[in-house]
Amino acid sequence: MSLKRVYTWELSDSESEEDLDANPKQSYTHVNEKHGNTLRVPEVTEVIKTTGHGKQPNVIVVPEEDTLQPPIRKETNSPSPGKKRRNRDEIDADRARADEKKAEREKAKREREKKKEEKKQEQQKRKEAADRLKSYRPENYIKCLTVRIHPVLLQDGNSDVLADTLSELEWKMRIEPHSLTHSITWTRSSPQEGEDEEIEEEQILMVITLDEFLDIVLSVKQILKGDSSRHEMSSLLAALTDHLNTHTGSVVTMLVMGANKHRKHGSWYHAHGNLRSQLGMEDMEIEEVLVYLQLYKSVFVHFLYNWKEVADQVCTYTKALSKRPFKALTECTELGFCVDGAWAAGSRVERDGKGLAEVWSRQIQQLNRVSPAVAAAVTAAYPSPHLLIQAYKKLDSEKERRGLLADLTVKGNVKDRRVGPEFSTRIYRVLTAENPELVLD
Amino acid sequence: MPPEPVRLGRKRTLPSCPNPLFLQWLTELRDQAAEKGLKTQYVYQKALSSLKKYPLPLKNGKEAKILQHFGDGICKMLDDRLERHYQVNGPDAPIHSLPSGVQHSAPDSNNLHPSKGSSNTKEPSGSSGGDHKRTQKAESRKEKGGRKKRGYVPQKSSGGYAVLLTLYRHSQVPGSKGFMFKNELQVEAQPLCTKSFTVPELGSKYTAWSSVTTLIQRDLVLKTHNPARYSLTELGMSLARQLEAGEREETNNEEDNKSEAGEPVNYPETVDLTQDYNGYGDDDDDDKEEGGLAKRPPPVICVDEEVGHWDEPQASEQEAAASGILLPGSYDIILCVDFIETTGGNTVRKQELVTELQKNGVTFDIRKLNVGDFLWVAREQVASDPGQALQPAARELVLDYIVERKRMDDLCGSIIDGRFREQKFRLKRCGLHKPIYLVEEHGSAAAHLSLPESTLQQAIVNTQVVDGFFVKRVQDVKESAAYLTMMTRYLQKLYQNRTLHCRSRELEGDGPKGASVSCSLMSFTEFNHGAVKNKCQTVREVFARQLMQISGLSGDKAAAILEHYNTVNSLMQAYGRCTSEGEKEKLLSSIRYGKLKRNLGPALSHTVYQLYCTKGPLF
Repeated sequence: MSLKRVYTWELSDSESEEDLDANPKQSYTHVNEKHGNTLRVPEVTEVIKTTGHGKQPNVIVVPEEDTLQPPIRKETNSPSPGKKRRNRDEIDADRARADEKKAEREKAKREREKKKEEKKQEQQKRKEAADRLKSYRPENYIKCLTVRIHPVLLQDGNSDVLADTLSELEWKMRIEPHSLTHSITWTRSSPQEGEDEEIEEEQILMVITLDEFLDIVLSVKQILKGDSSRHEMSSLLAALTDHLNTHTGSVVTMLVMGANKHRKHGSWYHAHGNLRSQLGMEDMEIEEVLVYLQLYKSVFVHFLYNWKEVADQVCTYTKALSKRPFKALTECTELGFCVDGAWAAGSRVERDGKGLAEVWSRQIQQLNRVSPAVAAAVTAAYPSPHLLIQAYKKLDSEKERRGLLADLTVKGNVKDRRVGPEFSTRIYRVLTAENPELVLD
Repeated sequence: MPPEPVRLGRKRTLPSCPNPLFLQWLTELRDQAAEKGLKTQYVYQKALSSLKKYPLPLKNGKEAKILQHFGDGICKMLDDRLERHYQVNGPDAPIHSLPSGVQHSAPDSNNLHPSKGSSNTKEPSGSSGGDHKRTQKAESRKEKGGRKKRGYVPQKSSGGYAVLLTLYRHSQVPGSKGFMFKNELQVEAQPLCTKSFTVPELGSKYTAWSSVTTLIQRDLVLKTHNPARYSLTELGMSLARQLEAGEREETNNEEDNKSEAGEPVNYPETVDLTQDYNGYGDDDDDDKEEGGLAKRPPPVICVDEEVGHWDEPQASEQEAAASGILLPGSYDIILCVDFIETTGGNTVRKQELVTELQKNGVTFDIRKLNVGDFLWVAREQVASDPGQALQPAARELVLDYIVERKRMDDLCGSIIDGRFREQKFRLKRCGLHKPIYLVEEHGSAAAHLSLPESTLQQAIVNTQVVDGFFVKRVQDVKESAAYLTMMTRYLQKLYQNRTLHCRSRELEGDGPKGASVSCSLMSFTEFNHGAVKNKCQTVREVFARQLMQISGLSGDKAAAILEHYNTVNSLMQAYGRCTSEGEKEKLLSSIRYGKLKRNLGPALSHTVYQLYCTKGPLF
């Protein structure tokens, strides 16, 4: 949620400026956009943009090359000279001057247009990126997912609740026999229109009854005893094994359902244990089988009571699947630490800079083992990073700079203490070091 | 081998202040006061500054009363100290120089017996100790003028000496990577050092490794990156070159005259090299600082008596690195339980797990795990030799499975306070490929949870689907124990006939993912060390975190800024190069971030500019 909020704030804030400048052109540009191939536009503009930005001083040179053409065209297009009586040189000079002016005007105009064009394309690009990102938001992406239910499961009359739940949510659903019997799987399509290719998700739910699970348990126990004669194997386990042999990436979760009983005491938490006890086996015996399935087949087993709970699980899995693409897009892996958590939320700063003092204080606290009190001592003495950095610059020796903050007094509840040289050195390093990989502690 | 004899020989520096003893005592008094947070520290500080300015030698404390900020109290204290000084060193002991006797017996005994005697006035705290040194250092530097940089030369066969020399030799090898990891550095430096790099001496918590802190503080060694890389600074390089030269000369001497080669530390070259040693700021002091802060080996609680010794962490490290193979049958698979799982909090409940595991006959070991709650190690079988006091360290490799146990209420709490994501992040990065979430669904807890059941279910399924963890649901502690028991048995079976190789993550990177039974495993020490929660921060990391303190500046945006300006310093320089305020304001606005390469935008750029370029106070 917080991510979303931040996004919209950032977007609206940064676009407001552009709108003011580009407004007059907007109606025109919009018409233009619709004809163009929207997918290609960003790539082209990117080239223009980066060259323009990368070498600021060269900006003038680039348009000049363009403006070489108009004057030439002018001479050939409108050869009619002015008054013949005038001195030819004069005329030439006048004309040259006029041409020059014209060229200049043209040039300025072109530059203006070019800038506007750039801005427009930039805006367009940004809008597209925003739209694209939006389409990957879980609540939108979920429309790209299709739940596929194996027909075998529908033979159980109680399974209606699953289809009902899905259609109520207006999620896409298909009933089709796929490679693993008793299973529910998903496919995803790209949120971009025109790309219809469906990709199969690796998650598979295998819905089986307690009796069927019991068969699996017995088969596994046989395998564990070393007797792996195939004909004795539970047909479901055999199907599962076959499937896993051909689909190595599949992740199968077995949903083991009680004999269509209602939950006894209403509590979801008891379901699991009760069902396991219904198997009439020692905990260790069942555990042995479950761990076998985990280690040798990477199969999860989850005990549930009825089809309603299965339907809930299907929804939960669908939602989880819908979250993945967005997460993959926005995930930040470059930094070697987790960027989530209370510390990372950031402190609000107004346009006029109000709130920056708080940011500065929090910045100091990003160093390990720094309390708000220590940060307060530093910000009281140096109420901005600039002031502290200037103070460092005024000192001659490295030793003095390292120790600059050491003697600041930290207000404590009971008694005051010093900031100390260790922290003083660390903050000095953070603010002035040239080697980004320097270790502080 | 105790290093005293050399110290006596080399600490002949003339102090700059004519009253070094008083200076030292006052500094100690001030540091003690500061340590306790007493305001008297400032009184001592004032007295100190005034004493430093006084150019003439003082005979006793009373005489000092003529100085500003010296009252009866301070003078009395100095006289008391002086009396003790004469008692210890004889009535004719010099007081206007730092006599080797007093000065050095104290720190040395400090080192070995950290809390003994009245002379032990140096506090182990980082702040006071460091300051003390600095004060004196400044004094002697003033006097020596141009020779500043030759202040510190580590004593032969000390940790610092070995580290410098090893780094130097490593850097001289053609094609060297220019730095060393802690492991390899320790292993290679050990032969050059008389003290152990990994096992603290009896009665001390410091190893030879502790002196690396000194080397870093003195700008001889550079510690960068995470995991840490060690390299020589220019200063360190030239010092190490000298050491190497001394070493060679010595080898020659030894060959010339073997009969005298008994005590290498007494060789004149060593003394020669160390003549500028300042006579304070012992390595041992630095060691103490470090130990006081963070570097102590994690406390280990052992339930099993017979494993009492071997898990001093780094001990197994070197050997494993030296020969990284465990043959079938030469090791046991053992379950490791994080000590948090057995102590603190609800002790009865936690004891239950241990009891259950014992009942099931599982071999397990309780220790501090820096990530996860349970994991398995392959531990080398070491034949116990009753004649040997210290058992040789058994090598230990970590299997690929790691379990995080969560009760429903824990899960609920950790989702609310954000620990949930952080924990998963750390599990994903710990280097073990098969993380398992063990969820205890405790019926009783359900009623009191502050998040709806559906939210918790979603979090559990997300852990499986989005994060790719194996999620194991059990009902209670008993089932958890049954699960861990069964896992242990299976893993013992799986690893029955396998040859295991030790793979260093630092040197070789992560192993192949997805192998059903991995035989290329990290050493436990490397694993656990790499998973320390509050790792050493780098300048870059702190800068990123600092940028993220601005609302709206998310991790990916910070990362994008870092790609252009990876330190505060480089950002400030970039601002400095701008020709106008407008340019500064827009400096960051066209930086692209994230996978979608979106612009950072003028608003954020403006805010960052305000933060770093506002000349007056922020508000």
